[in-house]
Amino acid sequence: MRELLIIGRGGQGAQTAGIQLAQAFYSGGSYVQTFATYGGARRGTPVTSSLRVDDQPIRLRCDIECADALLIFDETLLDKLVLKRADSKTKIVVNSAKASDAFANLGDYNITTIDGRDIARQNNMGKVVNSALLGAFIATLANLEIDTLCKVIEETAPVKHQENVAACRQAHQQLSKAA
Amino acid sequence: MNAISNKMLLSGNHAVSWAVKLVEPDVAPVYPITPQTPILEKITEFEGRGEITTELVTPESEHSAMSACISASLTGARVFTATSSQGLLLMHELLHYASGARAPIVMFNVNRTPASPWGFWPDQLDSLSQRDTGWIQLYSENPQESLDSVIQGYRIAEAVGIPTMISHDAFYVSHALEVVEVPEKQMVSDFLPDYEPENVLDVEAGRSFGAPIDQMTWNRSRQELAGSFAKVEDLVNETGEAYGKLTSRPYGALEEYRTDDAEVVIVTMGSMCGTTRVAVDTLREQGIAAGLLKVRLFKPLPSASLRKALEGVPCAIVLDRNYSPGMGGILHQELKSALYGMNDAPRLHGIMAGVGGVNVPPEKIESLVTKYKDAPTSVEPQWAE
Repeated sequence: MRELLIIGRGGQGAQTAGIQLAQAFYSGGSYVQTFATYGGARRGTPVTSSLRVDDQPIRLRCDIECADALLIFDETLLDKLVLKRADSKTKIVVNSAKASDAFANLGDYNITTIDGRDIARQNNMGKVVNSALLGAFIATLANLEIDTLCKVIEETAPVKHQENVAACRQAHQQLSKAA
Repeated sequence: MNAISNKMLLSGNHAVSWAVKLVEPDVAPVYPITPQTPILEKITEFEGRGEITTELVTPESEHSAMSACISASLTGARVFTATSSQGLLLMHELLHYASGARAPIVMFNVNRTPASPWGFWPDQLDSLSQRDTGWIQLYSENPQESLDSVIQGYRIAEAVGIPTMISHDAFYVSHALEVVEVPEKQMVSDFLPDYEPENVLDVEAGRSFGAPIDQMTWNRSRQELAGSFAKVEDLVNETGEAYGKLTSRPYGALEEYRTDDAEVVIVTMGSMCGTTRVAVDTLREQGIAAGLLKVRLFKPLPSASLRKALEGVPCAIVLDRNYSPGMGGILHQELKSALYGMNDAPRLHGIMAGVGGVNVPPEKIESLVTKYKDAPTSVEPQWAE
């Protein structure tokens, strides 16, 4: 079983991203379970989307304490509390304009940055970063094809379908090259 | 043979809405509240697109929603509602009324911490503190079971004329998106007989319902209710078995998981059953003969079956995701009374685990088993955290 966490702020699309990623893994033939936790409907406060992926039905009904991979929508969310849910093996992708080295002081973590906002702007997406971040995130994960994810994004994005897909592919390519 | 079904990715809450779509009750008075609201939202979508004929009523409070449920039910309508936490507590007065009036409403509750302090976390105190209101209570482990239990709930409620409440935990089930098998509408229509009560509110036929009565008539109404409650456990088992024949997903009042020759059995309800299954498998691999006794039917508590399931088991640990102030875990208290006077009763430990939605991973359950399995009975309930 693989356990993934997406952490964002209410309104940024972390919950939507978790659902889209679950749909992509599901259409790739895996069992999935995703759930979001939040403290009431307040924009701007931290929202956690948890995702489990397995080749058999998932029975666990508890939080993910240490994730295999972590996607952070906003670098200000990358604090000690969040890093408690990661170890040196956790693949961490952070939305930031900074280079990965800028986070070296946080400790022995596997952190990669992606400038989701820049990619979103280039693709006429304004501040909406979730498709770009998902593309970057799956570049660090095995067993999920970018085409499978893009198909889900195309089907589920409320507007700007092509722009969302383009942002997803661009970010994916950027991190695939880096890897 | 399996009836045709469609596999869909659904959250626990949307699985409930799909069950409502398949049952298509006549009336659904619902008031929104976190984390129940997605149930109402999806039903509203179905209604807006003309996919259901259910009359959706959106009154100004949960108290009014339950009032509307009772009135609609007494006219002979099939009724659904959903709520959570504060909303359920606001309905409390009417919950007694609904069971006394023998209105077989099906209500879905999303288990959430009651205020104060304010919270949105999974905790079963909201529905467990409705224990004495005369509703049948079922607890669901996952989205599939929530969908299946709503459909079965109508058959159970209407057969005995008792309102039925089904609950699942906030977030771990309500907001957990996973694969759910959605049966065909025809299968559900065949499974649920038409609801045709003998006595209904009817403007054409003058009758009094709930009129002031003398002491003995009130007393008799409760004895009649008791007589109906006595049939519920068998009914839940028969209904779950019949449903299993159509879907390959049988259900019962209780479920035993790896309890054969168990030296320790964990007794719990709702979402924690899933995590406990994983803990039981790990413990078995380590050579500890652990098992799970899942309580799906909490009210009426299947006391005789619980005694039978735990007969000769050396140790039982109750995990309660609730705390009744001044008392302890409610399932623990209920189980103690069910096992009272039993010769071969297990050493019993009542653990309040995950109260307020605190995380309970399988490792936590494994460590509780290690800690308590050889200990003498805990007279007082214990906190896991």
